[in-house]
Amino acid sequence: MDMLFRNLKYFLKEGFSNLARNRLMTIASITSVMAAMLILGLFLVIILNVNSLTNQVESQLELKAFLKDNISEQQVTQIGNDIKKIPGVTSVVFESKEEALRKFKQQLGDKSYLAEGLEKDNPLPQSYIVKVKDAGLMKDISNEIKQINGVDKVSYGQDVVDKLLGIIKIIRIVGLSIIFILFIISIVIISNTIKLGVFARRREINIMKYIGATDWFIRWPFLIEGVVLGLVGALLSVALLVLIYGYVLDIINNKLIVFQLLPLEKIVGDILVYFSVIGAIIGALGSGLSIKRFLNV
Amino acid sequence: MIKFINVSKRYNKDIIALSNISFEIESGEFVFIVGPSGAGKSTLIKLLLKEEEPTSGSIVINKKDITKLKKREIPYLRRSMGVVFQDFRLLPNKTVFENVAFAMEVVGASPKEIRRRVPMVLSLVGLSDKADKYPRQLSGGEQQRVSLARAIVNEPSILIADEPTGNLDPDTSWEIVKLISEINKRGTTVVMATHAKDIVDAMKKRVIALEKGNIVRDEARGAYGYAL
Repeated sequence: MDMLFRNLKYFLKEGFSNLARNRLMTIASITSVMAAMLILGLFLVIILNVNSLTNQVESQLELKAFLKDNISEQQVTQIGNDIKKIPGVTSVVFESKEEALRKFKQQLGDKSYLAEGLEKDNPLPQSYIVKVKDAGLMKDISNEIKQINGVDKVSYGQDVVDKLLGIIKIIRIVGLSIIFILFIISIVIISNTIKLGVFARRREINIMKYIGATDWFIRWPFLIEGVVLGLVGALLSVALLVLIYGYVLDIINNKLIVFQLLPLEKIVGDILVYFSVIGAIIGALGSGLSIKRFLNV
Repeated sequence: MIKFINVSKRYNKDIIALSNISFEIESGEFVFIVGPSGAGKSTLIKLLLKEEEPTSGSIVINKKDITKLKKREIPYLRRSMGVVFQDFRLLPNKTVFENVAFAMEVVGASPKEIRRRVPMVLSLVGLSDKADKYPRQLSGGEQQRVSLARAIVNEPSILIADEPTGNLDPDTSWEIVKLISEINKRGTTVVMATHAKDIVDAMKKRVIALEKGNIVRDEARGAYGYAL
């Protein structure tokens, strides 16, 4: 235990003094981590926003089940219950003939006189307005509702929804691929930068091996170094990201009316945590990989 | 203490560095390994340090067959041996004291032990007044003495010296050899590979002569035996 603590002290001392001693390398490493993760972060923010945007769009999508005219009130209630039972359905709202007409008039606006007199023999059907959890389910759910006795037809703007779904899918795939590629690139850049530092100290590693240092004894200071580099780089990139995103929010949110960008508070927490973890992992991985070759003596 | 049993080492199938050599070194012995360049001296040292594996045969150190050692056991084998090289191999950004202390830190010695042992060893090699100097501020002989201090600070049972005087002038070489001899008298087994004819001839210690990977001579009180 005593020895463990002593070693820990040595590892920390050694790790940090190496960072201080190779100042130029330290700065270069931190800068490259920061740059790579800043780009990663910018894409991540874009993806997060696209996601929230598609969620907004999806939640607004609804389908309408029109009911036949000649059915009893009991049957209407029964149909409503049946629809509610379909998995994926989040809400079912009944719209009576009168309501339909009122909405129709509203839509007509100052031409509402065109609908005058329809009250007596209302041609508009009663309907259920159905919201679903996921836009991808709309087609299946609509088919299922059609099977229910007493349902005349179902509409949800097939063309628009299908196209929208296609676009959303492409955006997500492209975005995730870009993030993945950038992640790999970050690891390569960082492990290369750290490799330069390890290479400069290969003599030291060699000597340690001859003295009888275990591989882990040699490795720990380098891992600590890598984690510190990754962490500091990641935190700096988050700071820059917050500045940039805040600036963009100021400009864009005043102009966009339909969709709101995610507020700063909502993403900072997550990104801070993710990036700290990713930065530390990348740093440890990078230095671990770089030192491997020099341990084989 | 050290036993080579039918040891061969081949590189790339056709280059034979050592061919089927056997010898035994007793505890407390002082042995010179001599021979022309490419005779297999370096290979022998590398096998001792388990830097390389023999192609066949076995090597026993302190009653343990080191060819059967697992990779993670190698550090502990090396702690039983102190090593000195021709090029000193000191850490340039550590002082003399720190260089020696480093060997103790690596094996997990306490700061108290380090403060006690390092000055003792430094005084043994005659460098007490240079403890705070950096390697670049020292002469070649002084640097080799630091490296000797580092090699023995953990009290290994074996001292391996690979051409320790190769970079030094004759007078300084003698100082180093006397020091090594002193260490040997304290009970440490010494294996020294060397080209230094004068030293080998004057010391009258056991000489193992290698040529083209074979032991051509193994004499108890030998001489270098080669024309320069």
